[in-house]
Amino acid sequence: MKQSTPVAITGIGCLCAGGQNLSECMEYLFQGERLPAPPVNISSDHSVSYPVFEVKEELISSEEREITRTCALTLTAALEAFENAKLSPKELKEHHVGVCIGTTVGTTFNREGFYRDYHAGLFPETDRVKRFLNSNPSSLLSHKYGLTGPRQTVVNACSSGGDALGLAAEWIRTGVCDMVIAGGADELCRVTYNGFISLKITDSEPCKPFDRERKGLNLGEGAAIFVLESEDSIKKRKMKARSYILGYGSGCDAYHLTAPIPDGSGLKQSISEAMETSGTSSEDICFISAHGTGTPDNDKVEALVLSEVFPGTPFCSTKGYTGHTLGAAGAIEAAFTVACLEQGRIPANIGFTIHDPGLPVSPVKHATEVKGHVAVSESLAFGGNNAVLVLGRIEI
Amino acid sequence: MNSGIAINGVGVVGGFGYGISALGLALKRPERFTENVTIQTSDGPHTVPVYLADTSQLTNYLPKRALRRIDHYSRMALLGAFLALEDAGELESDRKRMGVIIATGYGALHTSFDFMDSVIDFGDPLASPTLFSNSVHNAAAAHVSIFLKATGPSLTVSQFEMSIPSALISAVSWLEQGRVDSVLFGGVDEYCDVLGYCLHQFFGYNGNDIKPFDFERQSAIAGEGAAFFLLSRSKKTDSSYGFIENVKVSSMVNGEPVIPEGSILFIGADGHVQCGRRYERFLSEDLPLTAYSPLYGSMPVGPGFDMAVAALSIRSGRLFVIPDNMGIKNQSKSELITQKIDSRPIYCLKIGPGGGYGMIALTSIK
Repeated sequence: MKQSTPVAITGIGCLCAGGQNLSECMEYLFQGERLPAPPVNISSDHSVSYPVFEVKEELISSEEREITRTCALTLTAALEAFENAKLSPKELKEHHVGVCIGTTVGTTFNREGFYRDYHAGLFPETDRVKRFLNSNPSSLLSHKYGLTGPRQTVVNACSSGGDALGLAAEWIRTGVCDMVIAGGADELCRVTYNGFISLKITDSEPCKPFDRERKGLNLGEGAAIFVLESEDSIKKRKMKARSYILGYGSGCDAYHLTAPIPDGSGLKQSISEAMETSGTSSEDICFISAHGTGTPDNDKVEALVLSEVFPGTPFCSTKGYTGHTLGAAGAIEAAFTVACLEQGRIPANIGFTIHDPGLPVSPVKHATEVKGHVAVSESLAFGGNNAVLVLGRIEI
Repeated sequence: MNSGIAINGVGVVGGFGYGISALGLALKRPERFTENVTIQTSDGPHTVPVYLADTSQLTNYLPKRALRRIDHYSRMALLGAFLALEDAGELESDRKRMGVIIATGYGALHTSFDFMDSVIDFGDPLASPTLFSNSVHNAAAAHVSIFLKATGPSLTVSQFEMSIPSALISAVSWLEQGRVDSVLFGGVDEYCDVLGYCLHQFFGYNGNDIKPFDFERQSAIAGEGAAFFLLSRSKKTDSSYGFIENVKVSSMVNGEPVIPEGSILFIGADGHVQCGRRYERFLSEDLPLTAYSPLYGSMPVGPGFDMAVAALSIRSGRLFVIPDNMGIKNQSKSELITQKIDSRPIYCLKIGPGGGYGMIALTSIK
């Protein structure tokens, strides 16, 4: 692989349990507090109420009703991204714009209400199915704004958001389109709530990424949408890049459906590709936004790899603030990474208090100043997927 | 885009059988490849035809024991993947620099609903972890990567009818950039009773044959299956299955798809009247034009099967004659398709219900 051309980020929109936009989310991260709570929008009959990070209804600005919550989250984040990139709907139509969105729940035919009625032999109406069919995040965004470029919904489980950004950057580099609306979105639902609890990787308390006492993840929901542009498009629009996607790497463990390979070889390979394509070395990286779910296996493998590849580089997981937002996580964390580079600091890895002697490295305990212009954001996923983004600016 | 990406192997499984020979036979001797299934509806049980795929031949490649927890969705993908590798003579090759890209409209339907059954029947605390982990869309890509020890990048794309052309853009991009040496690319979709129920609610009973050229009547019949391809960059100027000349995904809001003069057109019409009408204008263009959905059925990843037929047509140097039961209105078109392909590109066009479209162009020469 050769070094790739940096791809400009000209706009970012983000919402999660911590805030309605990226600036609110960043304030929330640096307040050092978090708000996991028993789920409000979903109910269950577990004896323990597993805390989640839900987005409050009033934070979702989309007025469309005949779409899924995942799409409403997508559209809300997209509006902020367009505003940030100074793009009007009219201007979007004047460019060849692609859409690449990562999700998990967003494309799954698991409309539980409909299925319960079907299962009970009630022969339900199919309006809920129609809503699902009308809610492919990439198609919806493309259709709503009359975009002419390709659309792709990436369903690589929990690395979907990171992969979508990396793939979208490839589209710009290879001239497939001159602008891409890319990112990730996912809603909380009972299927994933019950599913992760069934796997026994959900913590009944606020999660503790990389902590000795970590017991698993908390689920969350949200979306982050980026506007990526070619240099030509930026020049024509007289815009400045907010940051860049410098490199992207991905690889598969080819080991197990849900557990990461213990030696972290898939993640190492992905980091290696991302570094090579970005033209940076580990010394250039000022911090790492870790996947850090709080599950024993994920954090063990990730800490091992970080100790080998980025020794001494500060890292943190933000999932203690947002919960694991699944297909949105890679994009939300990439948004945080860009904002942290802009602010020259990273938040405390909330939930981490006790060093795990089984892990060779630990994350930052407190909000930490960082000096540098380049950072790494990692995503690991079911299926053994790994996605790594190198973000920032290379100073010449 | 003019990629020059070669198709080295094709692996298909569907109602017509499995393997490129079965597809070739089906093209030469088209017949009704459906089976009858019963769906329960509010006005009683209905028997409907469906194109179902049999994956029992997967044991030619993997021991039965290894397949215990692999569902039908992943089995179809695995069989398609092994067949494509075998067809390319690459069953034993190293796969460290092979990417895996899978397109799917609906993902693992059976397993998704089975997981919900476990919740409904036994309660939230007894939800099945095995079913949950196999219900994710990328489970098929994961199993393919695990069994083949393919450690390159892996991607699953879900874009309903546009899944195949959308995912193929990334396959071409990976190969052009040199990210990987080859890509195992495929599409997979499965049928289940819930889908049958939904289709019946939407469209009712539509007869026993898909009539892709009858644009006035709903005639779609659900199908399932997998269509896989081994793709690579090629320095050669010829490839028996041809090259991917162009892939495009766009929307008709900004103009109709344009098929270059001198091309051959495979339309993805599969009996859905809402989309079918959008193909009608191509009948009046001076293009050899045909459709093959009556061989494989109506499913989101149908364009994968059209791509397989196009590859097979390039290999044989001729187009396959349109089956008689296709409701063709313009018979002069059937005369045109007996022509030789020569160096003409074959465009596989799929138009979605919202006016989005995908085009894949294959050509015999680079």
